[in-house]
Amino acid sequence: MNSRAISRLGDVFSYVFMLIMFVFFAGPLFWLLSLALRTKREIYLGVSRLIPKYPTIDNFISVLTNNFFPTYLWNGLLLAVLSGIGVLIVALPAAYAFSRFNFRGKSAWMMGLLAFQMISPLVIMVPLYRYFAWLGLLDTHFGAIMVYIALGVPLAAWLLKGTVDSIPRSLDEAAMIDGCSRFAVFWRIVLPLSGPGVASVFIITVIAGWSQFLVPFLLLTKTKLMPIGVGIFQFQGMQNDSSMQLLAAACLISVVPAIIAFLLLQRMILGAMTAGAVKG
Amino acid sequence: MDVPRKGFGTRFNRRFAGAPLPWMLPVILVIGLFYLYPVFDVIRLSFTDATLIGNEHTYTFASIIHAFGSPDLGGILLTTIIFVGGSIVGQQLLGIIIALIVIRGEKRRLFGTTILRTTALVAWVVPGIAGGIVWQMLFSEAPFGGLNSLLRMVHLQPVEWLSNPNIAPWSVVISNVWRGTAFSMVVMYAGLKGIDPTLYEAADIDGASATQRLRFITLPQMRTVILVNMILITIQTMNTFDSIISLTGGGPGRATEVISLYTFNIVFRNYDLSGGSVISVLMLFMSLTLAFIYAMFLPRESKS
Repeated sequence: MNSRAISRLGDVFSYVFMLIMFVFFAGPLFWLLSLALRTKREIYLGVSRLIPKYPTIDNFISVLTNNFFPTYLWNGLLLAVLSGIGVLIVALPAAYAFSRFNFRGKSAWMMGLLAFQMISPLVIMVPLYRYFAWLGLLDTHFGAIMVYIALGVPLAAWLLKGTVDSIPRSLDEAAMIDGCSRFAVFWRIVLPLSGPGVASVFIITVIAGWSQFLVPFLLLTKTKLMPIGVGIFQFQGMQNDSSMQLLAAACLISVVPAIIAFLLLQRMILGAMTAGAVKG
Repeated sequence: MDVPRKGFGTRFNRRFAGAPLPWMLPVILVIGLFYLYPVFDVIRLSFTDATLIGNEHTYTFASIIHAFGSPDLGGILLTTIIFVGGSIVGQQLLGIIIALIVIRGEKRRLFGTTILRTTALVAWVVPGIAGGIVWQMLFSEAPFGGLNSLLRMVHLQPVEWLSNPNIAPWSVVISNVWRGTAFSMVVMYAGLKGIDPTLYEAADIDGASATQRLRFITLPQMRTVILVNMILITIQTMNTFDSIISLTGGGPGRATEVISLYTFNIVFRNYDLSGGSVISVLMLFMSLTLAFIYAMFLPRESKS
């Protein structure tokens, strides 16, 4: 009886805390949505119009028909997807080597890769600007994508190693006895069986690429090349207090694709992250 | 790429594919060209007097002496420590409490645990720039500022979230905790799930209360996880750049100018490449030290 009462009390506390936390995490995005749906006049009414009386989608239309915005979105998608593919091409063979070969200094290699993951991108951006100017890669998507790939590869290689580890070695060995080469083993056995891991690494990289700001901000100066992260920052600089509803709509448009991609594959992504990041 | 044809294939395979190096070549090339070289270059540049515009430079220690002697550096480091420290405390506390409640909720089948977890994760996926803009709309002291209009509605004094140099750093911490807590939650959740359940059974037999269980089992068992999480949060927070530049831009004055923003301003506002390189090397040094400590906690690569 007594312990049941305590459990009940515990439940009440849990619910109160959960509600507070829900408001903390969801509130800001709800506020963004609320502002994005308002007319110019309702913007000035603050919280009292949390649910707008005259909701409108004009702000979204106005942003999406803006001269630059569709270009920003397209560039953002292009850079994110291409860097996702690039990361897989670069990291998969390495993950295979880390998983299937035993060689001197293997753990040093892996720790080295992890160390790169820890270095602030800003550190490499400082010299990279001049370096890229010298290589002629400033203001090219190719140059930006290569930096995205370099930033994404360390984590991807670690996560993919975990995926390849989970494929039984006996499959490789059986295939090799049957006369398969290592490339064939990699291409026909390891790759098809690492589908879920590859998919989550791809999505993680694409979301990271979509959110990327610093690299394109410094390396791409032409408006027609800028991805969404930089675009929204430029857009913020052009707005004033009376056009907050437009900035809110633009911001929401940039956020929603990342959220949807994440929600669709939440379980897979979290599985990969916890397997790789926590268990080491 | 397709399966190599027989004659060429076997020869190629015997020579290359049996060794690890060819498999690592893409990583070595990409990391070497676009990561390692810049890292070495930033170290080299810190020993020069290079600017962002000119091409000539000479080697000197003057930039290092100048950068470390700068009267700004102390304030920048203090701001960074507040930002990192506040984020660590906030994210760890919220992370572990949410993880505990989610686990409790799953056990007792409470409504809403999945919703809470997903909501926290959604905040985590929001791009940094957008996150900064969202919080600016909440903290803003204009009529559309969410928090102040809420305070006004309940007849409380509005707060100068972003214009008071004593409050602004904490506002930035709040926005960072909002984005970062989900990561802590995931780490803590995995850690809590990893605790041997027989420990709790033994405690139950001994008649331990809930607080005793938390204090004598959960927290000691989670010590490594909490420490590792602290290192990871420190690194992430120190590297944070985009969500601050869109929230405060470093202001008011220089109240929220953390070390990453400072480096950016030195190089790309003042064109002082060597001075920025010195601070970059300082950041590099801090990151690598933390990464090294983190690596010591990782399990050794076991007999595979």
